[in-house]
Amino acid sequence: MKRTILILLGLFLIKSSAFAAIDWESKGMQIAGEILANPAGFFYDFQQDLEGTTPLPPGKSFGIQTGLFPTTIPMTYTNVSAKLRLHAEGRIAPGVPQLDLIGGYWDMLAAKLATKNSDTIDDAKFGGYYAGGILSTSVSPRVRTFWGYKRSVLSAKAKFLPNSRGKYPELLGTPVKDFDTGFKDDFFIAGIETPKGIGKLWSIQLNYGIKTKIFSSKVSWYGKLFELGLNIYPEGVLVFHPVWNFHLNF
Amino acid sequence: MKKTILSAFIAAAMAGSACATVAEDSKIFTPYFDMTLSEAAFLPSEGNIFSGGNINTQVGLLSKITRKDHLFGLYTFNYAGQGFAPQDSKQFTDRSMSHGFNFEYRRSLTDSLRVRPGIAFSKEYRRTGANEAWDNGLYNMNSSGGQLALDYSFDMERNGYVTMQYLFRNVKFPNYTDLLREFQNAGNTAETSGGLQDQTMGQVSLRPNWNKFFGGVTYTVQNYKNQKVVADTGVYGDTKQKDTDTAFDFGFHHSLWILEMYPMVSYTMHKSNQNFMKYKFLGDTAPEFGKDYYSFKEFALSVPLDLNITSKWAIGGAFNIQRRAYDSRYARNETNDFTTAKQVNTMTTLTGSIRKRINEVAMVRLFGSVIVASSNNKFEKYMPYNYTGNSFGIAYNLSY
Repeated sequence: MKRTILILLGLFLIKSSAFAAIDWESKGMQIAGEILANPAGFFYDFQQDLEGTTPLPPGKSFGIQTGLFPTTIPMTYTNVSAKLRLHAEGRIAPGVPQLDLIGGYWDMLAAKLATKNSDTIDDAKFGGYYAGGILSTSVSPRVRTFWGYKRSVLSAKAKFLPNSRGKYPELLGTPVKDFDTGFKDDFFIAGIETPKGIGKLWSIQLNYGIKTKIFSSKVSWYGKLFELGLNIYPEGVLVFHPVWNFHLNF
Repeated sequence: MKKTILSAFIAAAMAGSACATVAEDSKIFTPYFDMTLSEAAFLPSEGNIFSGGNINTQVGLLSKITRKDHLFGLYTFNYAGQGFAPQDSKQFTDRSMSHGFNFEYRRSLTDSLRVRPGIAFSKEYRRTGANEAWDNGLYNMNSSGGQLALDYSFDMERNGYVTMQYLFRNVKFPNYTDLLREFQNAGNTAETSGGLQDQTMGQVSLRPNWNKFFGGVTYTVQNYKNQKVVADTGVYGDTKQKDTDTAFDFGFHHSLWILEMYPMVSYTMHKSNQNFMKYKFLGDTAPEFGKDYYSFKEFALSVPLDLNITSKWAIGGAFNIQRRAYDSRYARNETNDFTTAKQVNTMTTLTGSIRKRINEVAMVRLFGSVIVASSNNKFEKYMPYNYTGNSFGIAYNLSY
């Protein structure tokens, strides 16, 4: 039944001749132009993929996480995140929310390898970190809402050397000698979490950067070991980021 | 522009609606959370593929001070991304983002009568270009004001009540500039058009609800503080611009066997005393005058239908049509000349979808739409009036 419905929907969508009008080359140029205009924003979207911004499951006091896709693979963001519960819900007094500290760090392996092996890259450093806190409270046996704050920082810089013909690398026809860009902002987080099955949770959340006005929506499914997510950056270069993270909570 | 103003009212009305419908049980604090997220790809018949999304998040908290006295705070984040839009409203690439704060005090006067005074603030950003800064949007808007609502319950069993509301807003557009003034004062480098869109807005509405049937009549007045009406001589006169909207709407949300329907119909009469000067090119010495250029009647019908094939899965379909007929504006031909026919725009959308209910508070929907926009206005150098397109995407909703 489900397969039939999906096929029907697919036919409904594909029947249009409008697909013939897609100009992939100009779309690619547009995407490249958007990356060049705001490289830090582009790389920061991947940082958000590895940031653990959901509360610890009830009963857990400590957690570690690492982003697998698209962070470690293919972006080579080696990363680690941690969560620490400071207060369990209702422990001090009934109704007092759970409070978790969150934080993490990443470093791009490809930038280090490129500096070491390339003749035209003199120095490259891509990395970032984040830290914050999350309050969560149960509003029914099956629903938890959470609110949080995080400070995110990203640094992206590179210096290039001329090749044997004395030319610098080119991006869209423009020689690039170096770039030094960064990103930092304070975000607020609002989300809701609900069980999808035994030991499995489903959440949806909004992250909003107060100064840069960057925002994202994260939809996540997570169990004991893995988190699958669909992060959506409506104003980003790549709007959809499928996400796969590994975590352990104790 | 009108879309901007009306969206502010709709946001205010939605905030009021959320206040009226939040769950009320015996707890001192009751949170309210609603998040709807959609992202879609758009394939127009003219132009390249693009993507856009919508995010609407409402986070609120109801505090029951006493049995009769309640406080409600609501924060609303709303993002409207790129997408197909009715003609004369916005470009496909326009995006808007707004933050709204609404605080309301509720006092139960009797078992069936409740009064709800409140205050509201909002900040809206709009932009068109990919890398245009949000702070620089021409139609960025700040709004503040208050409202007073009265709820009268007449049928507790079937949730029957009538809400009468007066709403007031002071609206400022800090970046707005007027093209006609800039054109006429090209050599003047000083700020000549600050605050032209600044206005006060007042709205009175009467909205009955009963047994999941709802409807209402809404009257809105926009008084511009500085914007004057352009005369047939091409210069601004002494009369200030004033717009009014009178809107009627009706809908319901009911299920019959496995069919779930929630249709809505509305009819809006927009009146504006503003006129228009049409310059065909820079330096046109004989511009044409368009009297009563912005008044129109608009009809909108939306018929969504879900077929609940199991408790989790549903096949959905929706038919939407929006038709705007201008009172006095003549349509233009391909060469930007007025014709003898009044301008009429129609936009029709047919949507098919699959919905999965994840649990009692969450659902996800895959959808595809065919859109047909048509108009007797054939001058499409700046805005598309006649086009077809497809869109397909995904939407999530989580509400508590």
